[in-house]
Amino acid sequence: MATAQSPIAPTVRRGVEPLRAGQGNSYLWHKLHSLLGIIPIGAFLLEHLISNYEALKGPAAYGAQVRFLNNLPLVRVLEWVFIFLPLLYHGIYGIYIWLRGKANVVYYPWAGNWMYTAQRYTGLLAFAYIIQHVIRQRFMGVDLPNHPAAAFWKVQHELSNPWMLAVYVVAMIVVCWHFAYGIWLFAAKWGITPGERSRKRFGYVCVAFGVLLAAMGLASIWAFVGGKYPNAPENPPLTVSRMAAPAAIDGPSFAVVVRGAGTASI
Amino acid sequence: MATKTVQFEIKRQANPDAPAVWERFELEWRPGMNVTTALMEIAANPVTADGRQTTPVTYESNCLEEVCGSCAMRINGKARMACSSLIDDLEQPIRLEPLSKFPLVRDLQVDRSVLFENLKAVKAWVPIDGTYDLGSGPRMLPQDQEESYPLSRCISCTCCMEVCPQFNEATGFVGAATIAQVKLFNNHPTGKVLKAERLQALSGDGGIQECGYAQNCVEACPKQLPLTNAISDVGRDVIVQKVRDLLRK
Repeated sequence: MATAQSPIAPTVRRGVEPLRAGQGNSYLWHKLHSLLGIIPIGAFLLEHLISNYEALKGPAAYGAQVRFLNNLPLVRVLEWVFIFLPLLYHGIYGIYIWLRGKANVVYYPWAGNWMYTAQRYTGLLAFAYIIQHVIRQRFMGVDLPNHPAAAFWKVQHELSNPWMLAVYVVAMIVVCWHFAYGIWLFAAKWGITPGERSRKRFGYVCVAFGVLLAAMGLASIWAFVGGKYPNAPENPPLTVSRMAAPAAIDGPSFAVVVRGAGTASI
Repeated sequence: MATKTVQFEIKRQANPDAPAVWERFELEWRPGMNVTTALMEIAANPVTADGRQTTPVTYESNCLEEVCGSCAMRINGKARMACSSLIDDLEQPIRLEPLSKFPLVRDLQVDRSVLFENLKAVKAWVPIDGTYDLGSGPRMLPQDQEESYPLSRCISCTCCMEVCPQFNEATGFVGAATIAQVKLFNNHPTGKVLKAERLQALSGDGGIQECGYAQNCVEACPKQLPLTNAISDVGRDVIVQKVRDLLRK
């Protein structure tokens, strides 16, 4: 019989499917995920850490920076198009990528394989942290876009909980790790560093960059909890004029309320 | 008489649907023996360590000098070539298992035809067929030869695919070997006539975008192909091709 099957022939087709040459859209979705990690998410992270660094100058300077950002034209559109939506996509698609991978670092404990695995764990931790961070700091409590001067107080209040402080410290390192290795991966996969040596050198650059970012971030956290600006006011009196420079408005008013000389230089 | 012996544990499976069982073998040590020669000895005298008669272990091998690519298997958990795995370098008992990501045929033999399908999908060849003699091809510059030669050493053993966390049934990733061959043939002065088609093929589902750059491929490759360099270069070429297609079509 021509239709008779050999009894030893497998009944189910198994194994990895061959390449679906030129079919489907997954290329676009993957590359979008990859690109969004650098721009705008990475760019925003950089901006955020630089802005946070203002906290080292005290509540007034920090409030002024928050006000400056919230006075940007179309700020609510910018916030959704360049921060929230890309973050959501990058996070959710990243989890999808993770679930489809089959980590084997136990059998092949090589450096690149460790970093592959670490990129997934740091990504998940960063995503979980960012979700709570956005909900609690942007959408809950004092509405910072309308009360930018309360920014320092809001963060300080959050970090007064030692557990929360620990979460912020860990998250800062994890996020910077994920971003730094993400830049390295981007350069490798998009063909910017196609050479063995160029990848190695760029690796050092990314490590230095990541450490610098994390150090800046941790320094900013220290500004809130280090005791230099204790008990920042929740409701510093605000002058209304928007024509003057923000720092000039907040500076003197803070000086009245805040004890110590933290704002004296402003 | 105290003779030095070698211990083996081999995963046996009579057919794809049969349950897997482990069998122990003990062979007399000989200088310079490797995993393939050990499997040959077991085939000549298929008796397990506890003296039970069994069937010869099915495995693939051919050249015995790491150029044919047929004897890839997991040796002590790691994918490598049986012929170049010297017994003296291995921890005992030496555990032999079939590659895990390819359909099993029997014992240590798996069906690796997915690589052949992938190579066909990206047209990994130089097209020279025609109705008349095309004459000699264009001259290849020495620096291009230097670039291409390492890529031409691929022996299609599929070790790079076996060790890749992204090569699995969920992604259907094409694997490093095929991507390296795309670079090889795209750099060939006659082969590059198919360059656009190869790059477009690699942007399909399961294409180069699935690479997670864990770099296991380059660590495992027995022929030291510059696989990560190839993925990087071809990755850029695919992006350029896609942008070009987007703007010109």
